[in-house]
Amino acid sequence: MTPACLALDNVSRHFGGLKAVDKVNLIVQPGERRAVIGPNGAGKTTLFNVISGEVRASEGTIALFGDDVTKLAPHQRAVRGMARTFQITKLFPNLTVMENVLLACEAQDPRRFTMHRPMSSCVDLERRAEALLAQFGLGTFAHDTAKNLSYGVQRKLEVALSMAGRPRLLLLDEPMAGLSSGESESMLAILRNLDSAVAVLLIEHDMDIAFAFAERVTVLYQGRVLTDGHKDEVSANRTVQDIYLGSPIAE
Amino acid sequence: MEPRKKQAHVVSAFRRTVIIALVVAGATLTLAQTAERPPVKIGFMVPLSGANAQNGRDILNGFLLLLEETGYQAGGRKIELIVEDDEGIPAVGLTKARKLIERDGVHMMGGALLTSTGYALAPYIESQGIPMVYPVVSADDLTQRRRAKWIIRTGYTGSQPNHPFGEYAYNTLKLRTVATIALDYGFGWESVGGFRRTFEEQGGRITQSLWAPLSIHDFAPYLAQISRDVDAVYALFLGRTALQFVRQYEEYGLKGRVQLIGMGTTTDEHVLPAMGDEAIGVITALHYSGALENPANRKFAAAYRARYKRVPSYYSESMYTGGKWVLAAIDAVKGNVEDRNALLEGLRNARPTDLPRGPVVLDEYGNPIENIYVRRVERVNGVLQNTVIATLPNVSQFWKYNPAEYLKQPLYAR
Amino acid sequence: MDAANLPSNVLRGWRRPVFYALAVLLVVGPPFLSTYWVGLLTQMVILAILAMSLDILLGYTGLPSLGHAAFFGVAAYAVAVLATRYQLGFWTCVLGGIMIGTLCSAAIGLIVSHVRDVYFLMITLAIGMVLWGLSNRWIPMTGGDNGLAGIPRLETHAGLPFAGPIPFYYVTLLVFAVSAGIMALLVRSPFGLTLRGVRESESRMKSLGFNTWLHCYLSFVISGVFASVAGVMWAYYNGFVSPTYLDLTASSELFLMVTLGGPATLVGPVIGAGAIVLLKNVISAYTARWLLILGIVYIVAILGAPQGLWNLGRSKRT
Ligand SMILES: Nc1ncnc2c1ncn2[C@@H]1O[C@H](COP(=O)(O)OP(=O)(O)OP(=O)(O)O)[C@@H](O)[C@H]1O
Ligand SMILES: [Mg+2]
Repeated sequence: MTPACLALDNVSRHFGGLKAVDKVNLIVQPGERRAVIGPNGAGKTTLFNVISGEVRASEGTIALFGDDVTKLAPHQRAVRGMARTFQITKLFPNLTVMENVLLACEAQDPRRFTMHRPMSSCVDLERRAEALLAQFGLGTFAHDTAKNLSYGVQRKLEVALSMAGRPRLLLLDEPMAGLSSGESESMLAILRNLDSAVAVLLIEHDMDIAFAFAERVTVLYQGRVLTDGHKDEVSANRTVQDIYLGSPIAE
Repeated sequence: MEPRKKQAHVVSAFRRTVIIALVVAGATLTLAQTAERPPVKIGFMVPLSGANAQNGRDILNGFLLLLEETGYQAGGRKIELIVEDDEGIPAVGLTKARKLIERDGVHMMGGALLTSTGYALAPYIESQGIPMVYPVVSADDLTQRRRAKWIIRTGYTGSQPNHPFGEYAYNTLKLRTVATIALDYGFGWESVGGFRRTFEEQGGRITQSLWAPLSIHDFAPYLAQISRDVDAVYALFLGRTALQFVRQYEEYGLKGRVQLIGMGTTTDEHVLPAMGDEAIGVITALHYSGALENPANRKFAAAYRARYKRVPSYYSESMYTGGKWVLAAIDAVKGNVEDRNALLEGLRNARPTDLPRGPVVLDEYGNPIENIYVRRVERVNGVLQNTVIATLPNVSQFWKYNPAEYLKQPLYAR
Repeated sequence: MDAANLPSNVLRGWRRPVFYALAVLLVVGPPFLSTYWVGLLTQMVILAILAMSLDILLGYTGLPSLGHAAFFGVAAYAVAVLATRYQLGFWTCVLGGIMIGTLCSAAIGLIVSHVRDVYFLMITLAIGMVLWGLSNRWIPMTGGDNGLAGIPRLETHAGLPFAGPIPFYYVTLLVFAVSAGIMALLVRSPFGLTLRGVRESESRMKSLGFNTWLHCYLSFVISGVFASVAGVMWAYYNGFVSPTYLDLTASSELFLMVTLGGPATLVGPVIGAGAIVLLKNVISAYTARWLLILGIVYIVAILGAPQGLWNLGRSKRT
């Protein structure tokens, strides 16, 4: 049996007295599409940070593709086939869109240490970058500086960067937030078209999008997993309805 | 026939006029050229800013006094002095030397105060082949194991006053045990090394050697360490450190209990006017004293005091005397300073007389053979001065040793 | 250096003609200049190599080193010690100088590559001071305050059939051209792009899977290599090394060359190096307060061209 993409065992993260993530157990299987929902401050982003290694777990263990990565640095986890996006856009602001994507493409390529020939001679990397830009409809912006892009375009680039390394586990932190409905649609289409072997964890406030994308849903509340199951079960859950779906926080 | 003859006559008259005109023109040009030979350019550098600015200023003032006395004139040419501030930093000195030689095109160089600057400049001066006079830099090796063809020294080597002083301390002052304390750099090592050598050869003993960093601000820890049961303490300091050491030596109750002796810089006139009674009785050795009693020095000291309102220090005298070599060399080549080899010969063979410090000749290594004076600080007419108590004549940098043997031994070090 | 090896917009607009004019000047100018000016030009070219090496670190990788002159100095000292104390041959001295400078940066890089921003500034400053102190206090090896003089002339040491300021200048220019070409290629290479990535967003680089420590480390060592090359040339040019060449003033002057000229352009730091050598030598001939004047020039430049001279009229960095 292939190991789970991701297995969290009793993972917690405390900030002083605050338990931002509290004894979370989570298993994600290859190819799974899962939404992570929860009100503001529930600990969703912190959970992603703990998984990707930006933030150390206070306790518990994290396994990626069967290996214990609890003590590994973010880049060591990334090279195992995990990628993520950030809720607050994190691009290379003074580089062009093309350079942004090229960086993402070479991240897992031995040529990242090549010093003796120009980037332009790495034709296949450029091809891949162009293809990725085309996939996200970013082709026309290729030579623009990232910081000069509109917010919507920046969000697309944010997601594009995470996909360049062909990850097997993708963590998306509110990728559609702030996009127009048209942009959201096309983003959703891109996500849906992802290779079915890729497991995706999606944090999303918009229930329609979350439920349209994912089969399974994990609900976080005050750092804990409130419930975890098929979207129909979850949407039927009374507590979830009380604290989340019915509350004004859902917007 | 007639007209032709006449014509011939006219031609010859014309020719004569042309010849006369040419001769006159040529003569005028030649005369003009002699009269307007461009000035001899002398490049000069000393620290004029930073910690050693006062010493640098003294050196420059002595030179200026000499040039004023001689009307900025030598060998039938005007002298143009180009002064640069080397800031007491060797790298800056090198930059300034490049500027003086390559940009200003000086014919001759003079100056440098610090040993480090002296060593830095030497290879460059050698590569450029410009004669240079070091009036103060006292690093032994500049005229010993690492001598430079184009540099002559009109000052002294650090060990030079100390060789005879070591013997004097044993034989005349009857000292048997001495503790030394000196600034921790080449000048200190070489001076103490020279003293130690002759003093111990006579049978004396250096029981303790302390070294103080150049940046020292408080001598308390050193004075606490110094042993009280020696016959004398030998000290080498200058500038601020000299003032402070001599004062703290008294504050620690050492003055009056242990005789203080040392290198001449410790009580040199660049610091002496700022000292008080604590300095009285200190015995030091150097090749000059502001209070030296001879006609040349009386005249120099008076002129210097009148011009600068200061007592001349050995720094002041250094380039007044060194400058005489410069002028003598220019005279020797009759102003033809463009012939550098001749100019260098002129420098090496110059024999200026009537020098404030007494008779001086250069040895074949380009270092002076000169008198060393043992001086005791006294108050005369209310003013502190270095009264000469003994004259040790014609001291060579090799003292009484054979130069070849001497040079086989390593340089004095810590 | 080959223009094709530079990131394209480094030569955009008015920069292209200026670039070529300067290149032509560097190549054909010296025979028409006095030896003094040839000497200054040689200094400029050597310090330009040094400034470019810092640009890799400061401009491209975003690591502000205040101790970079130390590697330059270490390499220069290495040449001086090998040539004067051990009387070794030319190539041993050259390779020894580069290797010792590089090893030094490789060792120090292990420590400093862990920290960023102001901490990087402070730790490089501290290490620079330590090396300066060493050059001052390790007297048996370095001659302390006196420095080491008597380094042979490059032409004679290398046994070249020609000698003098102009041949030396062209040797330096050749070293400069090769170094500049390599550095220009480096910053355009896939690796060069990763350095700019680290500068722009290190945490993004990490989550993409880059071991950013290693990239910073390599950047540090590479800039150490070229600083060493410059140090070796300096030792031969100057014939003399002393602690002044690796003190804090030297490092800050170097920092100024890069920021004044325009970081992350390589050409900018060359211009910065030229400008500062020129100011230092020309102004200091007229006034002792040249540091003050340099400070004023710098402030004016910062206000007028905050991104550096070579980035005048351009808002984005490359
Ligand atoms: N670095 C930190 N230091 C201290 N507290 C933190 C830190 N990061 C997050 N927190 C706190 O942890 C809690 C969870 O934050 P987190 O960002 O994970 O929530 P979230 O579910 O992503 O919310 P949102 O929907 O608003 O993005 C919040 O109370 C937050 O203030
Ligand atoms: Mg969040």
